[in-house]
Amino acid sequence: MKEKKKMTAKEKNEAMWGYLFVTPTILGLIILNFYPAIDTVIQSFCKTGDFGKGNVFVGLANYQRALADPEIWQSLLNTIKYAIIEVPFGVIIALILAVFLNKKLKGTSFFRTVFFLPMVCAPAAVAMVWKWLYNQQFGLLNNIFHTSVAWISDPKIAWVSIGIIGVWSIIGYNMVLFISGLQEIPGDYYEAAEIDGATGIRQFFDITVPLLSPTTFFIVQTRVIGALTIFDLMFMVMDKTNLALQKVESAVYVFYNYAFTQGNKGYGAAIVMILVVFIMIVTVIMQRAEKRFVFYN
Amino acid sequence: MKIKKLLVAMLCVAMVGMFAACGGGSSEPAQDSSGGGDASGAITVNIWDANQQEGIQQICNDWTALGNPEVKVEVIDWDNYWTLLEAGASGGQMPDVFWCHSNTVQMYMENDLLLKLNDYIDADDTVDMSKYYEGIVKLYTRSDGNIYALPKDHDTIALLYNKAIFDQYGVEYPTDDWSWDDVYEAAKKITEASGGDVYGYALNTSNNQDGWYNFVYDYGAQVITDDHKGTTIGSDAGKAGMEMVRKILTVAAPQGVVAETGTDSLFQSGKVAMITQGSWMINSFYTAENHADYAWAMIPYGDANGNGQCDDGERWSAYNGLGWAAAASVANPDACYSLIAYLCSEEAQKKQAELGVTMAGMMGMSDAFAGAFEGMDVSAFTRVEEEGSLYFRPYTRNTTVWEDALQQAGAFLDAWQNPNDPAVMATACDNAQQIIENAIANE
Repeated sequence: MKEKKKMTAKEKNEAMWGYLFVTPTILGLIILNFYPAIDTVIQSFCKTGDFGKGNVFVGLANYQRALADPEIWQSLLNTIKYAIIEVPFGVIIALILAVFLNKKLKGTSFFRTVFFLPMVCAPAAVAMVWKWLYNQQFGLLNNIFHTSVAWISDPKIAWVSIGIIGVWSIIGYNMVLFISGLQEIPGDYYEAAEIDGATGIRQFFDITVPLLSPTTFFIVQTRVIGALTIFDLMFMVMDKTNLALQKVESAVYVFYNYAFTQGNKGYGAAIVMILVVFIMIVTVIMQRAEKRFVFYN
Repeated sequence: MKIKKLLVAMLCVAMVGMFAACGGGSSEPAQDSSGGGDASGAITVNIWDANQQEGIQQICNDWTALGNPEVKVEVIDWDNYWTLLEAGASGGQMPDVFWCHSNTVQMYMENDLLLKLNDYIDADDTVDMSKYYEGIVKLYTRSDGNIYALPKDHDTIALLYNKAIFDQYGVEYPTDDWSWDDVYEAAKKITEASGGDVYGYALNTSNNQDGWYNFVYDYGAQVITDDHKGTTIGSDAGKAGMEMVRKILTVAAPQGVVAETGTDSLFQSGKVAMITQGSWMINSFYTAENHADYAWAMIPYGDANGNGQCDDGERWSAYNGLGWAAAASVANPDACYSLIAYLCSEEAQKKQAELGVTMAGMMGMSDAFAGAFEGMDVSAFTRVEEEGSLYFRPYTRNTTVWEDALQQAGAFLDAWQNPNDPAVMATACDNAQQIIENAIANE
């Protein structure tokens, strides 16, 4: 450890200003993030009363109930299944698009805009449009292909249909991050590879993929967390009486149902705490993996 | 150096100012929509039905014209309404005057969040509680006798059918003498003749008050017993009612279809010949594109004793009534009460029916409602009150818990998915009995 030095007057002055400048942000974080987070932990140990009044401490009762509830486990499984579709496909497709759109060709900015557009739309609006595309009776998909597939009501395929919406919505965002990552790779590598006779595909796998791995890792990590907290797609696309709902509803959806529709905040808080612990475990595993798979220059 | 410091300090002040302004800017509209009255003294009214906004605003304007403050009627859709109201109640930022519903009002009454109206009513000669529908008054009266809302309206259920489809398949129009068996026969003819392109009937598990609840009562059972402490849905009578539902489901639109598109949209797209609907929905059918084809008949009866005619107690319609309530924390309780009393006065109740907003919460004030929709006869909704029986919409302290569970897998969704198997429906009734009993036990 470094020896603690006494601060000079100038340093003290700078520190004071530093704190002053971050105060608004810190205040915002404390009020809007930390306090609610701590309150959620407390609530998860309570049988909550109406309107936040009259909470009774019940220890681990909410957790015991949640861990014994097959609905919770099913919803965690559903969430993981969603992530398994959204993250890999969202990353791979975005990467391929990014590589193409990084070339100096005519119209790249047009296509970049087109692929980024889903990010600009409100998620609820996106979900509503897809809901009608998927509609079994009147949906565009079934009309074009002259099929009668119950895209969002068949428990076997509904989770895939929802996953596709997720992939579609996120590609643009991932792509923009990839493009910025690609532009940081020095062109010399590719020139050298070309002189040595490497093909485009070889260049992609031996230069682009490894040198892009910090960006890829960042995207994967943030998207995994994003996918594990998915809510709006299921909520908007699927009716309460949809047969496939039980096989698609995410953990956050179940949390919403208990906490807000049924007004059982304590149980909802316990569900969300279980999800937080799960996400933490996943994050730790990914951080470990970072050391093995990610190359930093 | 000093100047530099001064500049930095000024910059800081400016930033903090901006931050404060941001905070103020974002919280101000929230206060407008949910806060207890603003500086101008205008009263904020929250409702969830956009169909009624215009009429309610008109009646509120009448009140304003009597020398009262201005009233802003805001619509927040059903789902968000309750989330916002609860958040507002927890944070002390409720709208001034708003609608209450049987699903949730108990929670608000028990926590003293609503303005207690007893003293106002006692001092006001114009309000006579015995003039209102008993079930609605009871709903908004706490067990200790405190009254928290005045009845705004009441609604009933009727059968809606599409004449064009009946003509096309040569089936006679429904009449007031129809039983559910007649509905079944007609639906069967239409569904079979169209080869599945058009369905004779549509009913989802979520069509409870406007749908299958009524079957249960027709056959002599109750979804929630009169003391709000139990159910008889798993009894033989309850099962007989749901068996009738099952029979109709075999010739109705499959559950997957109604879950994706909704029975109302299917009906308005000409894909369904008959549905049951509540009087609060008339306007959306009245303003629909093909409204000339639509007609209402009295809700069919359940021929429980099988004698082929409608006996006493075989035709039931759910009725429900919203209540006008004010927040307990409201800044100007006198004005809010005055507005509520006006909205529930004979004059306003009559006007509400005349404008076709809804039927009145005061008895005998709804006659004008039948004539409010020119070209569409909606008297089926008022006739059922004379020729049939009304039961109040089933509720307990936390209705949503069991109401949602009944719609989903593990309860009636299973039966809706397998309409051809009577055993599944019987099991679903038993499960429903369990679900309701457990939910009440946990309240």
